[in-house]
Amino acid sequence: MGKTDRLTERQLTVLIFVSLLSPMIRILPTAAVTLGGRASWLSALAALPAGALLLAILRALTKNAPEGLGLADMAILGWGPVAGRIFAILCALWLTFYGGFLARSAAERLLSTVYPNGTTPVFIVTMLAVSILAAAGLTKTLSRTAEVLMPILLAVILVVLISAAPEVSGENLLPVTYRNWKDILYGAIPIFNVTAAHAYFLFLRGYVTKTTPGKRKVFPWLGLLIFIAFAVTLFTLGTLGTNLSITMENAFFMVIRNIKVFGVVERVEAVVVAIWIVTDFIFLSAILMIVAEVWKTVTGVKRRAFFVWPGAALSGAAAFLIARDAFDFLKWSDYIVPVINLTFTVALIPLALAVGKVRKKY
Amino acid sequence: MKKAVIFTLALTLALTGCSSGLTIFSNYRHLEMIELVRTVTVDSSEDGVTVGIYGTAGEEQEARMYEKSGPSIGVAMNELTLRPLGREAILSHTENMLIGEDLAKTRLDEVLDYVERFSEMRLDTGLLIVRDGTARDLVFGLAGEETPASDVVAGLDRNIARLGRGYVFSCREIAASLAQNGCALVQCVRGEEEEKLFEKRGDLNLAPAGMAVMRPDSTVGFLSDEETLGAMLILGKLRSCNLDVPVDDAVLTLSVDNVKSDIKPVFSKDGKLQRAEIKLSLEANLVSMDGLVDVRTRDVRERAEKALSDKVKSACDAAVRRGPALGFDFLDLGGILTRREPIAMEDMGVSWKEVFPSLPVEVEVESVLMRTYDIIDPPEISGREEGTPWEKLTDSLRDS
Repeated sequence: MGKTDRLTERQLTVLIFVSLLSPMIRILPTAAVTLGGRASWLSALAALPAGALLLAILRALTKNAPEGLGLADMAILGWGPVAGRIFAILCALWLTFYGGFLARSAAERLLSTVYPNGTTPVFIVTMLAVSILAAAGLTKTLSRTAEVLMPILLAVILVVLISAAPEVSGENLLPVTYRNWKDILYGAIPIFNVTAAHAYFLFLRGYVTKTTPGKRKVFPWLGLLIFIAFAVTLFTLGTLGTNLSITMENAFFMVIRNIKVFGVVERVEAVVVAIWIVTDFIFLSAILMIVAEVWKTVTGVKRRAFFVWPGAALSGAAAFLIARDAFDFLKWSDYIVPVINLTFTVALIPLALAVGKVRKKY
Repeated sequence: MKKAVIFTLALTLALTGCSSGLTIFSNYRHLEMIELVRTVTVDSSEDGVTVGIYGTAGEEQEARMYEKSGPSIGVAMNELTLRPLGREAILSHTENMLIGEDLAKTRLDEVLDYVERFSEMRLDTGLLIVRDGTARDLVFGLAGEETPASDVVAGLDRNIARLGRGYVFSCREIAASLAQNGCALVQCVRGEEEEKLFEKRGDLNLAPAGMAVMRPDSTVGFLSDEETLGAMLILGKLRSCNLDVPVDDAVLTLSVDNVKSDIKPVFSKDGKLQRAEIKLSLEANLVSMDGLVDVRTRDVRERAEKALSDKVKSACDAAVRRGPALGFDFLDLGGILTRREPIAMEDMGVSWKEVFPSLPVEVEVESVLMRTYDIIDPPEISGREEGTPWEKLTDSLRDS
């Protein structure tokens, strides 16, 4: 990494926050409601300690690592050049596929919400094309983009939630008693799964300068992400009820379709969806960037941008080939991808770091 | 790279424009080319369904109507929206959907399914069932030269909860209730022939016709006006209504406001559900008086309040009785009681479905006559025809 491409910890955190908004809004509330039922509006709160614990573990494992090392470097240090490289390549392959999954899921979401007569290739190709440009650039630039867009995203979410509030009914949310604790925990799994994806951004750790303050501000961002997850679930369930929400793939968008902003502006969903595409674009760009970073570390090639195009091409292929239709795609988004994601973020990545820590490599 | 980005961005500018064809602004339509749909009708027909759309009148005060039949709502609507007499129908601001009774009996789920899936429509669109006829005939009958049908329907939607004649539930509320409770209440309307007091109005008048208790694919039954009023009171959907109550030789018209319902289960010592209690408290105001009674006296007010409570209780009892009679808990008493006492309801040992048909439900109503608006002392009541209102007021205060 060049000396010019340096970012602060806050910038990386904002990049993570904006990126994770994309899957958070995509899966909620349906994923949480399917597992947790009526009580799932409390699940986000249950996901908070689990997310914070994982974050704390990953921070503890990387605390003493030298500046300039990313997760791929640390795996090679910890596991040795062969095993470390195998681990890093495994991660890169998965993230290449995951990037394709993200592009396809963004396209499917656009089709089912605002462009019913469109086709997925148009959206997939456009998203990948734009993301390639971003991923081939500096890490700092992408983080700054996320920083600039973040207030707009938060403002849109705030306006949407305020506008949707009058339709929220306590009848749809209650009763929830202590007996529902298992449901609440089950519902927390997909929310925790999304927050756990911050582990992938350890591959970009090498770009963070340690001299800048603000380390402790990582946890409030996680809290804000969880709060948004809580609000999205609460407002959707409160508006549509549990049983109706379960029947919808994009229940939150159904709520947005109905809102009137301060009683004077209607049908704002296209604008909202257009803005949320930004989160998809940021996340996809970050994933392509991480993949390229891993290959750069593994091969020792100096230019990261060299790996962005092939990575994006493979992600595009994955996006097209992952499923024939939306029904097949559901199997991936409901079961396969979450399980693999959790395996990497909760098991393999912490394990990779722990080995190096135990061997006192950093 | 920068040059490539700039070139790409410049290229996208070339794709913009108002014309059809290759443009990223392809959704643009001239105002005179669109038909902003406010009301949609769906009826059964020989072909399957007949869908009608009724546009805004705008400045022309001209009701525009288009309809098309097809094997399904999707096919008929597609035909309709893409070529209604040279205009393109925009359904994104549809206010109300009227469906004929015949269609509602068997295909309510299809209507809701279409509204949910079709991204242009909103789930908050009000849904009404047209009784004793088709939705199409009703809308055609309502439409007059200066009374667009959409305005008439929207007026009823806006005001029905203030009449005590029902409540227009939205597609979202109906779909949620069907999903949660297995049945839903849907407002019914019918067209009534009335004398045309001015030429430019329609031939029919839109009248509330109680409520229907619906399953996704069948009609369970219909509620009378009294049962509808009771259901609205219990569910807290009534915004206000005027009720006549007899007191001595007079008939007082009281506006009922601020209705609060408190519904709770009562359990025996061994945890069995004994009964449900519904306590309604409401405020009333004197709107008009036919005859003479002195409402300033506590005794008269108490009799008025009791008469009002009895009337409201009768309506609520009728609504409560109707549920077990139809075999469906359309008031969602099970849900309400469970929210109130979740643990006890879960532990009572039997399911709500088993308990519901024979569960005693006690209704208690407490009314308070709050005010008579600005008329404190009508001359007819006090018997004095002289003196200024100020003098009357001060005399009255002195007496009290």
